[in-house]
Amino acid sequence: MIELATPGTGLIGILILLALLLAGGRIGAVLGLVGLGGLVVTLGAEAAFIKSGVIVIDTLTRYELGTLPLFLFMAHIFFSVDASRDLFDAAAKLVGHRRGGLAYASIAGCAGFGTINGSSLATTATVGLVAYPEMRRRGYDDRLSTGTIAVGGTLGQMIPPSGALIVFGIIAETSIGSLFTAAIIPGITQALFYALVVFILVRWKPELAPAGERAPWRERFRSLGRIWEIALLISFVIGGIALGWISPAEAAAIGAAGALLIATMRRKLTREALVHAFRETLRTSGLIYLIIIGALIFSVFVGVTGLTDAAGDLVQSLGLGRFWTLVLVALLLLILGSVLDGLALMLLTTPILLPIVEATGLSAIWFGIFITRAMEIGFVHPPLGMNLYIIQGVAKDVSIDRIFRGVLPFLASDFVHLILLILFPAIVLWLPAVLGT
Amino acid sequence: MSKPMTVIIWIGGIALLLAVGIDTVAVIGRHVGFPLTGSIELMQPVILISGALALVVATIEQSHARVRLLVDKLSAGWRDVADRFSDALTLLFFLALLVGSVWLAADLWNGYEQSEWLGVPWWTLRLIANLCLLSASAVLLWRIFGKRP
Repeated sequence: MIELATPGTGLIGILILLALLLAGGRIGAVLGLVGLGGLVVTLGAEAAFIKSGVIVIDTLTRYELGTLPLFLFMAHIFFSVDASRDLFDAAAKLVGHRRGGLAYASIAGCAGFGTINGSSLATTATVGLVAYPEMRRRGYDDRLSTGTIAVGGTLGQMIPPSGALIVFGIIAETSIGSLFTAAIIPGITQALFYALVVFILVRWKPELAPAGERAPWRERFRSLGRIWEIALLISFVIGGIALGWISPAEAAAIGAAGALLIATMRRKLTREALVHAFRETLRTSGLIYLIIIGALIFSVFVGVTGLTDAAGDLVQSLGLGRFWTLVLVALLLLILGSVLDGLALMLLTTPILLPIVEATGLSAIWFGIFITRAMEIGFVHPPLGMNLYIIQGVAKDVSIDRIFRGVLPFLASDFVHLILLILFPAIVLWLPAVLGT
Repeated sequence: MSKPMTVIIWIGGIALLLAVGIDTVAVIGRHVGFPLTGSIELMQPVILISGALALVVATIEQSHARVRLLVDKLSAGWRDVADRFSDALTLLFFLALLVGSVWLAADLWNGYEQSEWLGVPWWTLRLIANLCLLSASAVLLWRIFGKRP
């Protein structure tokens, strides 16, 4: 009898998967079908179907995965209280008078909004709606304004709570709390890198972003007063996870309860707002659940074929050493990231690349942050570059070409940041180690 | 919003609110010395209900993620074919999950599975998940063979 559980079968599975994805198949369904088909071939129909049945019920009842819809629910409740406007407004009042101040404020607004929502696209869209018209009114160059918001939006994916990190935690069977803690320093340094790019650009070409009027301190305090309860809640949620007081799932529930309370206090919790939040939460979590179920079945198939071991052996036989192995992994992620959607990239490559990364002595926590960083670059990089299209939806008179030219200097900083993560893994691993999460 | 959709949204939404309430009470209880015994077992049915209904909602609203890089470049006619093909693949996957889940439920029927602390019967959870998988399949079947605008 022919042995079918071989790396070759795994490779054929991946090729079929890529073909079906490019043919427009839904990511979760295609991952699951190829995985299931592969398991039928390698293990037989009964084992394959029973395994799929186990995965679907396990996923839907998995307590840790309950984190995801609850964080989404929290974000949608915050949408209803116009949190993005308040966050941008506070940052704009504090630094908006400086040259390039509104660009700094956009980055800060995106980072702040990233703490209440785990999506790049949502961050770009909501902050863009508030920040772009203001920058345009103040005479900012459209490449700088759209570029800043497009890349700033990617902070939503990195800064906890992050949807991508929750999904990675489930797939890689890694602590979501540790991933959230590990993302704090890379998220902050990423934001600082973007601010540095703005600083250099406006020093080099002052006409890109004129200075504005300084807001009186009374107005600054008033704008800060509108975000204090959001800041307090988020500090408790992220701090509580980092310090180990509460699990990520509990933090999500407390965050959602706090968001409901804040919306009630502001008299914004209408029936319509609640139904809208329910609907959006269910819609988005359904999308993610299907991908996770499909990816889990696919990763069982990849594991059965021994493809991960073979890929690991191949990379080790090249004798590249840690730095070049990780550069190779980064290049592969960036190339695949230009044709695959972020979640598909993460779920397709994690089962294969994680063992290779672990063989270099780095942990799944590090890889989770690294792959999320690579996913973020795909959000602002053509041909997919979803954030570019989102911001074009807001700035309709600015061409994609101009938006991309605005993103380029920030993209350069992204590559430097990615290299720094490889050279200094402590940027990721230090905080979880110190806090013991 | 249609009436069935409104009902689905409200049931899923109430499950979300219950999940928020259970975990919040559990955390507060733990810190003030009155732990809520079996809170995770209470969470499991509510997150299953919201998650399984979420699959149905995402299917009805056609929100499941796709790579549209090539599809968007096709003519309207071919795009329709690609959309139906994508729906057919998704239907096949939902049906495969349903077969696996029903097979498992049948195998474990005489095991009288229940949760450890509160005795939540697992057959009910499997039933809810299977009904939602069936509903999502029905939506896709209708879309594949129905008329498109």
